[in-house]
Amino acid sequence: MSQHQPSATEPQRRSPGGRRDDRRHTPKVNRKGIYQRALRSAFAKLDPRIAVRNPVMFVVWLGVFVTFLVTLDPNLFGTVSDHVAQQRWLNGIICLILFFTVLFANFAEAVAEGRGKAQADALRSTRSDTIARKILPDGTVQEVNSTALRRGDQVRVVAGDMIPADGEVIQGIGSVDESAITGESAPVLKQPGTDIASSVTGGTRLLSDELLIRITSDPGQGFIDRMISLVEGASRTKTPNEIALTVLLAVLTQVFLIVVATLPAIATYIANFLETTLGTQAATQFRSGSSIAILIALLVALIPTTIGGLLSAIGIAGMDRVAQFNVIATSGRAVEACGDVNTLVLDKTGTITLGNRLADEFIPVNGHAVADVAQVCLAASLFDETPEGRSIVQLAQQLGASLDLTGKQAEGIEFSARTRMSGTDLDGAEYRKGAVDAIKGFVRSRGGQVPDTLDQAYEQVSHLGGTPLAACRGNDIYGVIYLKDIVKPGLRERFDQLRRMGVKTVMLTGDNRITASVIAREAGVDDFIAEATPEDKIEVIRTEQAQGKLVAMTGDGTNDAPALAQANVGLAMNSGTQAAKEAANMVDLDSDPTKLIDLVTIGKQLLITRGALTTFSVANDIAKYFAIIPTLFAAAGIGALNIMQLKSAQSAIVAALIYNALIIPALIPLALKGVEFRPLTADQLLRRNILIYGIGGVIAPFIAIKLIDLILPIA
Amino acid sequence: MFSKLIHSIESLTHFDFDFRRHKFSVALFFALCFNLLLAPLVYAATTSELTRSQAWALGLLGLSTAALSIYLFFVMFAPEKF
Repeated sequence: MSQHQPSATEPQRRSPGGRRDDRRHTPKVNRKGIYQRALRSAFAKLDPRIAVRNPVMFVVWLGVFVTFLVTLDPNLFGTVSDHVAQQRWLNGIICLILFFTVLFANFAEAVAEGRGKAQADALRSTRSDTIARKILPDGTVQEVNSTALRRGDQVRVVAGDMIPADGEVIQGIGSVDESAITGESAPVLKQPGTDIASSVTGGTRLLSDELLIRITSDPGQGFIDRMISLVEGASRTKTPNEIALTVLLAVLTQVFLIVVATLPAIATYIANFLETTLGTQAATQFRSGSSIAILIALLVALIPTTIGGLLSAIGIAGMDRVAQFNVIATSGRAVEACGDVNTLVLDKTGTITLGNRLADEFIPVNGHAVADVAQVCLAASLFDETPEGRSIVQLAQQLGASLDLTGKQAEGIEFSARTRMSGTDLDGAEYRKGAVDAIKGFVRSRGGQVPDTLDQAYEQVSHLGGTPLAACRGNDIYGVIYLKDIVKPGLRERFDQLRRMGVKTVMLTGDNRITASVIAREAGVDDFIAEATPEDKIEVIRTEQAQGKLVAMTGDGTNDAPALAQANVGLAMNSGTQAAKEAANMVDLDSDPTKLIDLVTIGKQLLITRGALTTFSVANDIAKYFAIIPTLFAAAGIGALNIMQLKSAQSAIVAALIYNALIIPALIPLALKGVEFRPLTADQLLRRNILIYGIGGVIAPFIAIKLIDLILPIA
Repeated sequence: MFSKLIHSIESLTHFDFDFRRHKFSVALFFALCFNLLLAPLVYAATTSELTRSQAWALGLLGLSTAALSIYLFFVMFAPEKF
């Protein structure tokens, strides 16, 4: 058996089994100057009206303001030191470090936003106004600006023209360059009559031939317009997990604010006690520890600034990672839901098996010869433009079948989910092919008999994991077509990974039970539903959701729209119908249903990254607490807790704040790229997170603060 | 008499409109007014340790801290707005 090798000119198929980065598909986005723009944006975000949206960083921002005031007048809130110049210098340093902490957090968010804006700019560049040839009701052609087109208008597009707006091809066949939106350089064939290949997107270019298109969207409502607003983050709202984390951060900040605000009262009480027991010098030393600037420094060191500064960047980066896969998510909620998905509902054809099932063999029944079966199959597939139909025609012609249609009347019978068969009415004879049960019913309805050999052929094909289709002429069954299904390479390993993560996979197929079980076993899915109708899709989703599970599915047809809307994550194919795209909360520009598995991985990576950085941020506080408190209040006899042996209280505070500021830009790459994904169970992930980011989050600042303390020229 | 009442109501309506438009400025104005009451209390409570201007600044800082605390409570109860 020879294996098909793609040629240099043929588009490469992205295999689901390879590395994710290899399959990643980045549209042409210009990221030059992104950091300069991010820096400008970071300063713009210092506007209090914007800063107030991030509670943790807003507290730091207010800290900058107050420390600036005490830098100008160190005795503004009370005489805390006789050495005003030294106090002013320390306050100034604290103010500067706090300012950079806010700036770094703004920069992290701006970099993440900048990526989305760069992608939006790339898309916007494709959305230029063009001159369209509008067909008027009297059949004449009028040249109008593309912005003047409305839903329902018809336009003629010739080779080399830009397609003026989203629409459906109603006449002609042509190849379209969709690289502007998908980045894929290989042209796509567009033709009328099929869900998959008839929709065109405004801003793409017709490369050959001529198309007559019916416009399906008004100006500003097109697919690219909606994509721009999504990737730009204009419609970004907080996800449920982000909201929960925001509450947690606000609670922690509130607790530490109360602790620090009440500290001076406690310090005064202890200082009075020290004055009577240890003398005035110890009391003064103790009181100096509770100056306003130092209290603000303590507050900032204790509140979770790391995660507070990176939280929105992590969310935006998650959306960006999805966009890099050429998938447009309608909201961050959808991306996050991917990470929580428990059940994947997957179509067999195109997702688990290669989309193009090819006719491999004709098995004759009822005493007919192979040549007769080929002749009937050829006649039944005359109007079938699907890859399966074409492969049947090709195989029949290879076996010597031919049809002379001169002077004959032929009418195509389209496939429908209800009849589950298609065919041709040719000069009064009814040629049909379709699901074996459907053909049996058809033959019986015409008064024919079903031969026993049909079931044998049916089982023979099913046990091979192929799809059996029966072919008949009127009430006479001629044979069975063996449509060969090939499971996509590497899928079994992916399903094993998903199983380890606790994600169940359910395969849906219109095939019979035997074929479905063979393919299910070969692909390694957890469950399957054979002879499924579109209604079964929505049923299986509802059943899973009733058990409290989150369900993800893919779809492209209009009949998939209700199920896409019902699923927690609905991924529509870009080549699909408008109804499917509007019902789903994600659209795959490459129209690759296997990408749903990648999206689950990206969603989990987003949640893991957020969890890891939260753990790290909170763990950091322990080290900062040990760095500042013992040196601040050493006079109270807690100097023994200064386990880092930091030089002085001033040095300890400055070192802790410098670490606090620097850790934000240091973690930007991790926040944007995401923590490396490993297919582990929730318990294993928790253990790993605590070990690396929990214990690491305690140890790292101890080392870093000690090093900064050694470097600082403060005695 | 009646015209005076109408005038007062009109003034209040106008004030309400202005308050909505300049929410921050009006809140700051009220805080400064309230601090006129608070600062003497701070000054009295700290004997001769603080000057009057320091007591005034400290009172304002206390009010800011309380406002910050209210803001954080607001974040906790309506996090989706942030």
